[in-house]
Amino acid sequence: MRLRRVEVSRWLSAAAAVTAFAVGLGACADDRQPSAAGATDFKEIADEARGQTVRWWMYGGDERINDYVDSVVAPAARRAGIELERVPVADTADAVQRVVAQRRAGETSGGAVDLIWINGENFAAGKQAGLWLDGWTRRLPNAALVDFEDPSINRDLRVPIDGQELPWSRAAFVYAYDQKRTPTPPSTFDQLLDYARAHPGRVTYPAPPDFTGTSFVKQAVIAKGADEGFNYLAELKPLMWQQGERFPKSEAELNRLFANGEVDFAMSFDPSFIASEVRKGEFDESVRPFLLEGGALVNTSYVTIPADAANAAGAQVVADLLLDPRLQAQKADPARLGIPTVLDLDRLDPTDRRRFQGSVASPYLLDDFGDVKSELGADQVRPLEERWTREILR
Amino acid sequence: MSERRTRLLVGVLAALFIAPLMVLLVQAFADSWRAPGVLPDQLGWRGFEVAFGSARAGDALVNSLLVAFAATAISLVLGWPAARVLGMRRLPRNGFVFLLIGLPLLMPPYLAGFGLTEWFIRLGIDDSLAGIVLAHVTFALPYAILILLSGFNREVEALEEMAATTGAGPARRLAWVTLPALRPTLIAAALLSFLVSWSQYGTSLAVGAGRPTLPIVMLPFIQTDPEVAAALALVFLAPCIVALAFVARLQRTPL
Amino acid sequence: MDTRDPALNLRSSASRSWRREDVLALAPAAVLLAALFLGALAGAVKVSLVPLGGGIGDASLASWRQLFADPSFRDGLVLTLEVTIASTAIAAALGVALALALRRSAGAVRAVAAAPVPVPHLLVAVIAVVWLGPGGLADRILGSLPFDLIGNRNGAGIVAVYVYKEAPFIALLVLAAMGRSLEQREEAAAVFGAGGLKRAAWVLWPTIRGPVVVGSIIVAAFAIGALEVPLAVGPNYPPTLAVYAFQTTQGDLISGEGRAAAALLLAGFLAIVLATVGVRHARSADNE
Repeated sequence: MRLRRVEVSRWLSAAAAVTAFAVGLGACADDRQPSAAGATDFKEIADEARGQTVRWWMYGGDERINDYVDSVVAPAARRAGIELERVPVADTADAVQRVVAQRRAGETSGGAVDLIWINGENFAAGKQAGLWLDGWTRRLPNAALVDFEDPSINRDLRVPIDGQELPWSRAAFVYAYDQKRTPTPPSTFDQLLDYARAHPGRVTYPAPPDFTGTSFVKQAVIAKGADEGFNYLAELKPLMWQQGERFPKSEAELNRLFANGEVDFAMSFDPSFIASEVRKGEFDESVRPFLLEGGALVNTSYVTIPADAANAAGAQVVADLLLDPRLQAQKADPARLGIPTVLDLDRLDPTDRRRFQGSVASPYLLDDFGDVKSELGADQVRPLEERWTREILR
Repeated sequence: MSERRTRLLVGVLAALFIAPLMVLLVQAFADSWRAPGVLPDQLGWRGFEVAFGSARAGDALVNSLLVAFAATAISLVLGWPAARVLGMRRLPRNGFVFLLIGLPLLMPPYLAGFGLTEWFIRLGIDDSLAGIVLAHVTFALPYAILILLSGFNREVEALEEMAATTGAGPARRLAWVTLPALRPTLIAAALLSFLVSWSQYGTSLAVGAGRPTLPIVMLPFIQTDPEVAAALALVFLAPCIVALAFVARLQRTPL
Repeated sequence: MDTRDPALNLRSSASRSWRREDVLALAPAAVLLAALFLGALAGAVKVSLVPLGGGIGDASLASWRQLFADPSFRDGLVLTLEVTIASTAIAAALGVALALALRRSAGAVRAVAAAPVPVPHLLVAVIAVVWLGPGGLADRILGSLPFDLIGNRNGAGIVAVYVYKEAPFIALLVLAAMGRSLEQREEAAAVFGAGGLKRAAWVLWPTIRGPVVVGSIIVAAFAIGALEVPLAVGPNYPPTLAVYAFQTTQGDLISGEGRAAAALLLAGFLAIVLATVGVRHARSADNE
């Protein structure tokens, strides 16, 4: 009981927002204007979804996102008659493994996974194997608010998303530095190398095939070209932490090193990770974000529905809710999560658009990702990782 | 062993085995603990708030306990007769049986993720607590058998024979001779079966299709959120320590 | 010839053939394990041979060939074996020593010694990193550590964690087999003039050999196939077999699962070989 009270008092703002949302939902239900056919289709789906329990398998290690789903998305789903069950996993592969097992067992319906917060490589491989439900994304009412012409949205690691996955969040690769230790962070890869020369043993990155590490290597390759990029990494290696003989195995491990003052930079695809780590008491309050090469590698986070999902209708309704401007605004609010929205602000009506403006900027978040870089293809990832293992690790 | 040496040994063991675990206790309340601090900078309840809030440690604890007790009970009931036969009767060509029993122990635990789930789905026992129990029994039963095996030896056989010659029936022999003789072994087997079930992650997640158990809710926070992970770890360890203490009391050594 | 009560299912060493009662006693456990695990094993073999979406006709050794061609795997196999042998030997030796030291101790002392047993390997690895990792507690208290266990290229960190966890486990097994009867037999041997070493060889060792062998096999099998410990405290390169399987499926499960299953099946096979060798060795010693 005591804990409940503490929770409620801490999330008072969430309660207020949800109340406002509840009041607004009734009034705004008719303001959606997708195509007429789309509206009818979705109405059938929404009716079918009523009473369903949707199991959303998603990474469970981020307390803020868990709270967002539990206290913002789940109540909204409940209002649509859906019970949203968040299934926490340590890695997306756990969810994909369940779906693959179902496929191998010959199951075509009644699957235990209704919705997955999926990553690009697993999406690409699953798409090739025909694991994902198709053709459901565009007819969702809130899909009209997303700019599907944007190549960083309609392609996930350059694989066309078709109708098989729906964007729900933005990701951008940012770096972190501590103002107390590093007055001026480098702004290009070459400057990073100079920094490593001046401060040997203070720079490192996670080893591929960790996702963050692979993304760092990708950026080096994008900035300098394949061979030049690997020459750069080879040159950097002896100047790195532990002379490059040892790498952190994950982004989390690098965060620990950075927090403990062993190295001077951290990095993540979550643009709000500094805010998150400060909140957890891991990073010092003097940590700030920065970019390399004038722009972040930008990515989109998607949800997908397995083709054999037991509650596909409910999953689609939940996916649609994720794109609701109110929910997106709460996610983007720097005071809450600060994760950028995937909605096209120009497509919103003025009331909704105002939700995304006027919030107090946070020193831990970048409001501008500069000259954004585009991702490499999904088929280039493994060769890159293997080349890195060959040339740098061994 | 002399009194002083015993105390020295206990001291060393405590420092080696208990002290490192204490760090979990501290970390669970450390809202902020950065280098070079030897003690946390700031204490607080965030770890437990999250653990019992969004991380659903309460539900996970209940599930884990139910499953572990069920798996232990089944493992002991099925394992006892098997261990008795394998331990007391020196049967020929029993290598095949031992191989079957040993397979779940010898195969890498991670391998279960690549075949167990599909098989359980085909059998129709997935997506349920009962399915999780059966998955755990698969790994706990071999442990139970192997440990119980070591208890069924010639002495027990001789004791049972002696009891038989005095006219005691099978039930009497079981209750008055065999069970007491195997008490330490039985307790060790129960404890280990319980622990094996308690720590299962991959099979629980995939077969149980997301039903929360303590390892499942704890794992995502390891490395990424040390305070919450430590809080969950304490919840995870508490029943184990209780079990261990209970066992220690039962195993009062005669001297 | 047996003239005793047929209800007595007790024979000392005669009648070494399978009786119906034996089969019935073994059946529940054997059938359950066969039904649950053999199917799972078959599934894993299928994963290593048949890609997702294919049928029996698509079975091929492609994953296995790729596996053996991969230098990371080959180097990893060597590391895995080295770590396994080292951990098992040290854990067994320390476990026996611990059990002997504690054989007359009170339950509370035994509980302290058994403390690492209920802690899952993952937590032990995490605690090891908290204490011994860079910027960890040991660093903060002592200034800095002279040696480097975490991430050690030779797997010293892995061995340390396994020994820490498994020595008490083996001690627990050994203690469970050492009861009053052992003490009585040792006393009897002493009365007959057998010295300490003779008593150890002829009374103690035969009693504890079983649990030591079984325990060592369990430890070795675990060391060959476990994932969390080498992942947390092992070197970046080479990866142990289970870490290799994990990394192969990181990011993209589907293209890597064939190789991962193959690597893990190989690890299991090695564990079986080790177990068979260990048991044979123990059996032959038994028959001397």
